[in-house]
Amino acid sequence: MNEPDPDIELLTRIGNNEPQAVDEMVSRKLPRLLALAGRLLGDADEARDVAQESFLRIWKHAANWRAGQARFDTWLHRVALNLCYDHLRRRKERPWDDAQELPEVIDPAPRPEDHLEASARSAQMEAALAALPERQREAIVLQYYQELSNIEAAALMNISVEALESLLSRARRNLRSDLAEPSGTADLGRGKP
Amino acid sequence: MTPERFGHLADAYGADLRRWPVAEQAAAQALLASAASPVLDALRQARELDQWLDSHQPAPVPAGLARQIAASAPRATVRSFWQRYAGWLSPAGFVGVGLAGIGAGMLVVSLSLPLHRSPDALPSIFEQSDAEIILNTPAEEIEQ
Repeated sequence: MNEPDPDIELLTRIGNNEPQAVDEMVSRKLPRLLALAGRLLGDADEARDVAQESFLRIWKHAANWRAGQARFDTWLHRVALNLCYDHLRRRKERPWDDAQELPEVIDPAPRPEDHLEASARSAQMEAALAALPERQREAIVLQYYQELSNIEAAALMNISVEALESLLSRARRNLRSDLAEPSGTADLGRGKP
Repeated sequence: MTPERFGHLADAYGADLRRWPVAEQAAAQALLASAASPVLDALRQARELDQWLDSHQPAPVPAGLARQIAASAPRATVRSFWQRYAGWLSPAGFVGVGLAGIGAGMLVVSLSLPLHRSPDALPSIFEQSDAEIILNTPAEEIEQ
């Protein structure tokens, strides 16, 4: 954690109103934010909203960002996670929308043949991820996909490292179990506590 | 590190030791070098799931979204001369008009006052004798 924050220089340039720095920040963080929100929410439109709102927060805080506090990327994950929580909370408040908002079961049909198998595999994985209980999904997304350290992921989830390891173990066990089933039978139990 | 601990960590963090807690990586690497069977089994099982996880590709960034987000950032604008100085030109204009008003008022007042009866008050183009005539001639005679 003593490594210099790789985003500081870019933040300074954004604070100096350098248009190129803005573009660099977007290309550096947008795919990462969309992947995080997309995997946690399983909804492309909501992921897009989260990404846009996260960037508004970046623009607001960039000029006054001070090195030495939290790493910028960790702070950004905190912002995006909170926005994801808001979306998940709203879903629970509107249970009648849930059926409509379930992620589409991916249709492995018309795709170029080269991509067919990869696409089907990705779809199966997406369904298995969506079937995980929320906290397990959050743990695996932060630690595995977002490549955060165990300490950062645990801090973002407000749990101990031991609790994170327990969530990760259970998540991986559930995934293994789901993926062992024939394709397409994974339960889309998104929103489980 | 015991094989059990190794198995626990592989079960949580996967097969790539770089994803493991930094403090445990060296011990795990050393244990791996011993190539004990339970350790290798744990790693193989973890690797299978890692391959599944890696197969999930997030949706691509929607077209136009990056541009839209970049446009939402506050950007420095190149302002014209008038935009740059409009802030203080406006008060300066008021001050200028005020000063001009004061000047005009002083001029009006000075013109309405009688001339000082001193030859020095006349422009130097007049001779001294002319000054006496001008200043000493009654107004009625001048009008006639």
